[in-house]
Amino acid sequence: MQRSLPYVALFGAAALLPFFSNDYWAVIGARAAVYWVLVGGLNLVVGFGGQLAIGYVALLTLGAYTASAMVARFGLDPFLAYGMAGVVGAGAGVIVGLPALRLRTFYFAMTTLGFATIVTQIALAWQSVTGGGIGIAGPELPQPLDSPWGFYLFALALAALVTWLSSNVAHSRFGRSLVAIRDAEVAAEAVGIAKPRLLSTVFLFSGACAGVAGGLFATLQTYITPDAFSFDLSVTFFIAILVGGRGSIMGPLIGNVLLTLLPEVAAPLVAWSTFLYAALLLAIVLAMPGGIAALLDFRNRRPLAANRSIVPRPERISGHGTARGDIVLKNVVLAFGGVRAIDGLDMTIRPGEVHGLIGPNGSGKTTTLNVISGYYAPQQGEAFLGTVALPHGNPQTRAALGIARTFQTPRLIGEASVLDNVTIGATIAGTAGFLETVFCLPRHRADEKRLAARAMDALATVGLDALADVRADRLQHSELRFMEIARALILNPAFILLDEPAAGLSSEEIARLGALIGAMAKQGIGILLVEHHADLIFDICDHVTVLNLGRELASGTPAEIRAHKEVVSAYLGG
Amino acid sequence: MILSRRTLAKGTIATAAAASIPAQVRAADAEPIRIGWLAALTGPLASPSIGFDRGVQWATNEINAKGGVRGRKIELVIRDTQGEPTKAVNATQEVISRHKVHAIWGPTNSGELLATTPIMARAKVPSLVAGVVNSLIDPVKFPNAFRVTPANSQWDEAVRNYAMKVVKAKKVAVFGDATGYGTAARDDSVAGFVKAGVEVVYSGIIDPALPDIMPEVLRMKNAGAEAIIPWTVSSGLAARLMNARAEANWNVPIVGHPVLGTGEIGKLVTKPENWDKVYIIGYKSCSFDATGKLPPRTQAFVDAVQGKMPLQDTSLWWVVSGVDSIRLIAEAVDKTGSSDADKIIAHWNTLKDWPGLYGTYSFSPTEHNGYKTEEIVMQRANSARDGAFALAPGYA
Amino acid sequence: MLAAILAAGIAVGATYALIGITYNLMFSASRVMSFTAGQLGMVGGVLGALFIGRMGIPIIPGFVLALAGCAAIGVVTEFIAVRPVLKALDQHLYVLSTLGLALMIQQFTAIEWSTEPQPFPRLIGVVSGGPFDEKFWLPVVACAITVAGLEYLYRRTLVGRAFLAIAEDNFAARALGLPERNLRVASYALAGVVGGLAGFASGELLLAFFANGAMLNFLGFVPVALGGLGNNRGALIGGLALGIFQQAANFIVGGVFASVAVFTVFILVLLLRPQGLFGAPVARRV
Repeated sequence: MQRSLPYVALFGAAALLPFFSNDYWAVIGARAAVYWVLVGGLNLVVGFGGQLAIGYVALLTLGAYTASAMVARFGLDPFLAYGMAGVVGAGAGVIVGLPALRLRTFYFAMTTLGFATIVTQIALAWQSVTGGGIGIAGPELPQPLDSPWGFYLFALALAALVTWLSSNVAHSRFGRSLVAIRDAEVAAEAVGIAKPRLLSTVFLFSGACAGVAGGLFATLQTYITPDAFSFDLSVTFFIAILVGGRGSIMGPLIGNVLLTLLPEVAAPLVAWSTFLYAALLLAIVLAMPGGIAALLDFRNRRPLAANRSIVPRPERISGHGTARGDIVLKNVVLAFGGVRAIDGLDMTIRPGEVHGLIGPNGSGKTTTLNVISGYYAPQQGEAFLGTVALPHGNPQTRAALGIARTFQTPRLIGEASVLDNVTIGATIAGTAGFLETVFCLPRHRADEKRLAARAMDALATVGLDALADVRADRLQHSELRFMEIARALILNPAFILLDEPAAGLSSEEIARLGALIGAMAKQGIGILLVEHHADLIFDICDHVTVLNLGRELASGTPAEIRAHKEVVSAYLGG
Repeated sequence: MILSRRTLAKGTIATAAAASIPAQVRAADAEPIRIGWLAALTGPLASPSIGFDRGVQWATNEINAKGGVRGRKIELVIRDTQGEPTKAVNATQEVISRHKVHAIWGPTNSGELLATTPIMARAKVPSLVAGVVNSLIDPVKFPNAFRVTPANSQWDEAVRNYAMKVVKAKKVAVFGDATGYGTAARDDSVAGFVKAGVEVVYSGIIDPALPDIMPEVLRMKNAGAEAIIPWTVSSGLAARLMNARAEANWNVPIVGHPVLGTGEIGKLVTKPENWDKVYIIGYKSCSFDATGKLPPRTQAFVDAVQGKMPLQDTSLWWVVSGVDSIRLIAEAVDKTGSSDADKIIAHWNTLKDWPGLYGTYSFSPTEHNGYKTEEIVMQRANSARDGAFALAPGYA
Repeated sequence: MLAAILAAGIAVGATYALIGITYNLMFSASRVMSFTAGQLGMVGGVLGALFIGRMGIPIIPGFVLALAGCAAIGVVTEFIAVRPVLKALDQHLYVLSTLGLALMIQQFTAIEWSTEPQPFPRLIGVVSGGPFDEKFWLPVVACAITVAGLEYLYRRTLVGRAFLAIAEDNFAARALGLPERNLRVASYALAGVVGGLAGFASGELLLAFFANGAMLNFLGFVPVALGGLGNNRGALIGGLALGIFQQAANFIVGGVFASVAVFTVFILVLLLRPQGLFGAPVARRV
């Protein structure tokens, strides 16, 4: 509720504009509202998902021509025509967005530009429908919406609707997942986020918004020709989001209004407007990557307590996923180029047991972990869960199988709160579909409540509950390590794979970590612990495997390992 | 300077008349006549607007220097639209609602005009249209809009007539550039030639960014075209056409859009003679005759502004069209004694052979295309002097 | 007619290839794809026309000055738009910072130079007209010299090997004590020279026109996508193929559908072979 207050105030004030102003401001206001219908949807793609779609004017064009042609050529009702524009926009949104699944950012940005050109050229060529160079009249709305203020209020209502819908998505597992694939794609895969499906859904939604915006744009312009859809317009949408700040809705909303108003209030600068936008973009990226949203984020400017300590509460760990058996590696071989990183490894990790994996640098510890969690496909051998082979090269399947992990360098989503960073771990536990989420239906609300409670619970377990609302990039390194453990714990996994969780921790923190890991194992969770701290390994492990050059050098209880001659000489150094 | 003397006389009468009416009315009348001037003063489409603007400013200063119209000064509300339809829509609504202008001149590009014309019609603001797209003028849908330039159909006709009657081409090559204007104009032109029984042996759309159009020119040549009819506003494409024509050793006339005669072309042709045998749409009012003289009215104007206004870097017709438009608005206020939209529109609807610098305009309630086809002529593209051109061969 | 299509196709293809190499040079030094690559080409043409055509400076010093100007822009790109965002390479902020800088260069040129294409001076003037006109072979010669020069640089000189080492593995190169930062600046200056050369050599063909930047940006990227990132020979083949395809498409289907065809082929190739037709190194992610 509190979250929606600024929006209610903003749109409420905007709704009062007709009482204070003339038709000119109705047109400018309507323009800002129409652009927001597009930018609001695009914000999920660019601001949240980090997909640099700079050619979104393609979808505006498509929507504008669809709506106009439906009315002018087929006599469709204008509202239905907007709907059609939305449907066509949604479909095209997926097509424009599809390359994002395969291509890196710059490549993707270029393809969206390519689409923008194609759409404009088709609009020019397909005269029987688009009117070619002469263009086509935009849909005319019935009374009272045909007056400037009538249309303004109509566009404003749709802008408010898009704000609400996109905010529902943003504050859901979908929105959090988008930010996760933007800032920590590898971690996103580990918690089971399927990027193709997520992105297609979001492109569908933002495409629909852009299509409807196109229809509204045609009405606002009264008449459209291909030259109305300039690259500058596309860049303006894009810049509005980045000026507003990534991962925010209020920021881009303000950015959009500012960029629509700026050329109006600074008329003498009109020739330089694109130059100034570009300079603004550069300045924002270099000096204030958080944009307007960061300026508004008062909460995260309050200093954090300097000498805070992490006090996990291992006793809170309760329950775990039912293991479908042991994780078993059988004769796994994995080579990069000519180098065999793992060379015929057999290993078994059992539920309720802490399995240490040690060895010198480059001995294949992390690689082993990556094979289990699906990032690498072994060239020979298999990894099994129980009797079932774990699918290769498919990390997003692991969360559902009850296998969670942490990373050597914490994969944090810096701009999201600690709570969100943990909640991400339970993405697959959400039950509401995208449509339920968009319209904030009961199942979505129940999901949110449940996931938030579980995340708070996990945070309390690792001792970070006091920092739940803090932006994750403000945390200390050691806190991030515990945050990742909370993210792994939230799903009540059967196995947790920990990649050097003690690196960078103080000895006191290492002791607490050890207790926490011990408690996890006691509750029945199987743990694979890759570590350099020999003390920790020997303290808490039930079983230790020593790797050297991708092969098992030794395997046994800590006591056996400590007595193992080769290990002592090769690794323990003494 | 017939016209300005006439205006001066009118001005004097108006001032005298104003002196005799009660003070209260006079105060209301002293409100300036606000004219919205929506110009593309910057951006890639700026050249025409810069020319128009000189005429607009000159006419405004001239009238104001003489005390205005019935004691009311003319106030220009200028907005730079950069030729972008979105900015033009904003600017149109701004001059209408915020500045409450009495009449509008511009915008000057077809894409902008198509979008702004319905908005001006909705507000019932008298508007003078300087754009060639045929559908802009419709006395039923847009009773407030009056065209003071030729329509594209008139341009088309002029080009077609010249190609058929003077060049005597039986086969023509017609192309447009890959822009809204280029594709639309090409279609109209092709349809016109076909209807007139001329064989269109080449009909293409050429990307104005294409670095070399030799293959297209060879194709036109091989098809046996006897005239090339280009519809483009891109000076780069126009110059490449002329250079390719010369390289192909092809002495075929090029007949088309005024852009073929802009100074930019002179810089871009590889040899000056590449610019020969290029004929552009022009106007009697802005053409030199065989003795190098302009028609008296335009000559008087050119003499009057000589040294005060640069003319060699623009087209004279842009300048005088700007002058005419301001005077048309001023005269309507003068004649009707009111700047009410209805009065101005009603007055324009009765104009018969109104003698402007650029042309002689006539409007009626059912015909808002005011420019006379017979005032359109063809000119030699490379003959520019003070923005005016020499008549093309074939005019006595 | 075929000769005319081929001559223009190969000439613009060589220009696209040079811009592709510009992209590659910046990428191999910094792992950054920069939107300024095409703008460098545009600026090369504009500066050539400004120095030689408008200011009347003789051809050789005018040429050197134009390339020096482009090298300076390359260095400015590195300082302003690349270096500050390198530490967060995985956030891809460089896409935004270089886009901003590229748009600034383009708008500045549009306002201060001209929005109309301006003539580029004739440089040599031996064969006039026909498919062997200098406007067609100058870009090809420039491209050949660049490719050969880069091969020589990489294979025969110490600096070139240092470039390669950085392209191969940034961290390792730094660990070896190579002056990674200076080499990066040098790479950007070199990229500026190559981009400027593309614009200068194709000046007579493309004219000194502000909108060439955006056009070259896209069409110069296609050879990179086709040939594989960082693969100069791939860029050369990709550029020539694109140039000929584009000219042929313009001839066969006309201006509107030609650009649709070019962009469609580009998107399809990217989707089917994201690593390019000739392959590019795959990075380890975890």
